[in-house]
Amino acid sequence: MSVGLNIVICIKQVPETTEVEFDKETGRLKREGVAAVINPFDEYAIETGLRLREKHGGRVKVISMGPPAAEQALRDAIAMGCDEGILVSDRVFGGADTWATSLTLAKSIQLSGAHDIIICGLKTTDGDTGQTGPEMAEHLGEPCISYVSQIIDVKDRKITLKRSLDDGVETLEAPLPLIITVSKDVGQPRLATLRGRLAAKKAVINTITNKEMGMNPKELGLDGSYTRVTKIFTPEPHAGGEVIEGTPDQLADAIYAKLKETKII
Amino acid sequence: MAYPKIDDDIRTKLEAIVGAKNVSFSKDDIEKASVDESPLEPHPPAVVVKPGTAAEVSAIMRLANEKLVSVVAQGSRTGLAGASHPIRGGIALSLERMNKILEIDEENLMAVVEPAALVDDVHKAVEKVGLYYPPDPGQESGSIGGNINTNAGGMRALKYGTTRDYVQALEVVLPSGEVIDVGGKVVKDTTGYSLLDLLIGSEGTLGIVTKATLRLVPKPKHTALIYAPFESTHDAAKAVSEIIRRKVQPFALELMSRHAVETVERYLERKLPDDTHPAYLIVGVESNSESELSTQLETAGEVCIENGAVDAFIADTAEKQRQMWESRKAVYDAYNTFYELDEADICVPRGRVPDFIDKLAGVEAKHHVQIVPVGHAGDGNVHCNIIRLGGTDKEWHEALEASISDLIDLSLAMGGTVSGEHGLGYTKRLYLVRKVGAMQVELMKGIKKVFDPKGILNPDKIWG
Repeated sequence: MSVGLNIVICIKQVPETTEVEFDKETGRLKREGVAAVINPFDEYAIETGLRLREKHGGRVKVISMGPPAAEQALRDAIAMGCDEGILVSDRVFGGADTWATSLTLAKSIQLSGAHDIIICGLKTTDGDTGQTGPEMAEHLGEPCISYVSQIIDVKDRKITLKRSLDDGVETLEAPLPLIITVSKDVGQPRLATLRGRLAAKKAVINTITNKEMGMNPKELGLDGSYTRVTKIFTPEPHAGGEVIEGTPDQLADAIYAKLKETKII
Repeated sequence: MAYPKIDDDIRTKLEAIVGAKNVSFSKDDIEKASVDESPLEPHPPAVVVKPGTAAEVSAIMRLANEKLVSVVAQGSRTGLAGASHPIRGGIALSLERMNKILEIDEENLMAVVEPAALVDDVHKAVEKVGLYYPPDPGQESGSIGGNINTNAGGMRALKYGTTRDYVQALEVVLPSGEVIDVGGKVVKDTTGYSLLDLLIGSEGTLGIVTKATLRLVPKPKHTALIYAPFESTHDAAKAVSEIIRRKVQPFALELMSRHAVETVERYLERKLPDDTHPAYLIVGVESNSESELSTQLETAGEVCIENGAVDAFIADTAEKQRQMWESRKAVYDAYNTFYELDEADICVPRGRVPDFIDKLAGVEAKHHVQIVPVGHAGDGNVHCNIIRLGGTDKEWHEALEASISDLIDLSLAMGGTVSGEHGLGYTKRLYLVRKVGAMQVELMKGIKKVFDPKGILNPDKIWG
């Protein structure tokens, strides 16, 4: 029997580039001439959501927090096959770190209806933290399973899935609703289609601002952030280095020994 | 005519010209210089000589001309018709050291390069400054010199034409050792016969290119690809004509069969967006404006759907396009990995592509081979991969020759040609006369005699 899942996918629009460049003077990302795309990791989340819908029926809602221009990322997701896009956008959300972002996203997901599963990419190519998904779970009080590599089944309000760990693969069962972050092993994301693209052009993207959420602005954006970006720079590529091989435990011991040896600790 | 062995005298003189370390008799060098990427059996040269300058090439040619030693210039040896095979031994003149990009002239939109510069390197270098060298023959490790000598076309010929359209000037060493400069950094030039155009596509038989000036264009800001699955090759080919008729200006219109898609998937160990349909079109569009790109993309996609495509997948990010092109370009390597085959690179008028493809089944049945057409459908260039299905070696070679012969006859009957871009080299030389007739072959032989009276430069090529 098909369940009919309410699937929510969180995506972020990022600059399309393999080499993110910063303006050394201002510390800002150089965006001129760089196209904005769906964070490549989030495409795996979209693929996971679409496959779940294909198997179990239901609806795939895609949600993104960002400036008004991020609407295009939502349309791109609809062109891939998602049913609906919601833009979370307000000046007071600007400058948010992962804590404020995850809080804002969690509230807007609550506002936008019931969900069975929230799917996030592993991390973003611009922020690279991998924190937003798990933090959202904390705000929502739902279980979170990260590094999911395969969804086995959804049955009787329970999901079984596999996740990759450093030293093996774990098979887990969890109750719905929950949040997962998926790795690239879930399967190659599909391309958008022309029919999808035409549908996406016509799609109405609803916007959630703080007017709808009614939160204290102090909890949002830069004011609601516990971390501060003090400096942004492009790391110089390192030459040399030492490669240590072994099991995670052996590696931890080796690193500990190294840190002691070099009197860092 | 005699082609003597490389005796001590010649060896000493070659060493004096390029230095001992650039005159090689090593097994490794000789073996490499014996082959290109055609299925032709190896033809080892007596010696491999690696000059570093046009002056050295000139001195080598002077010596070879005096001693009547045959010379074959070689670049990356990625040719598919045996044009760089040293059929009579002699000197393999490897230009591998002459591989620099000398200048990118942003004012005149031109690049000056040495012959062994790789096409891929030229693409990357000019794209860094927002320019574009349109010829893209797929084989990225091919050299510019080789591309000029075969007038290579490739994926973007549909919109941009072939290598010929982008060669402005050449420095060429003649078989006598004389060095000539043809063409220039001028947009217009009606000054005598165009020896430039004669040298382009001459398959290394008239002179040795030691420097080339290439024309560049501004790189389009936005590009996207469509991957459309069709119920039949015929439908896909019909969509090609309709896309052109609707005035979309795609830079590429590539046709792939399911067989080709599956072979590439197996080779790259990566799935394409769909592999369950008999035929696929890859359509490439580009523009400086996003809205214009969008219009082109949607028109091309709609035409595909109107002509029976189930949908049209869109690769719009740089990474997705890169992966899609990588798949298309891997077709050749994929087939060579898994099958024994040769290729006929037929080119017919664009409108005849559906007819030509419909007739392949007849050739397959007649000669018991499999023919997989992969092609630049937009410009009528259909690469027919002829695959061995069994039989003895002798039976296979006979079936292959007979298939190629039939495909060429089919093409000629449709107003097509023998080779779109690989050239005739050695393997297809006997077919020249069928296309151009005895009179034109005699004219060509006369031209060859003027350039190379002693017949020492790349003998036995182009005509039988």
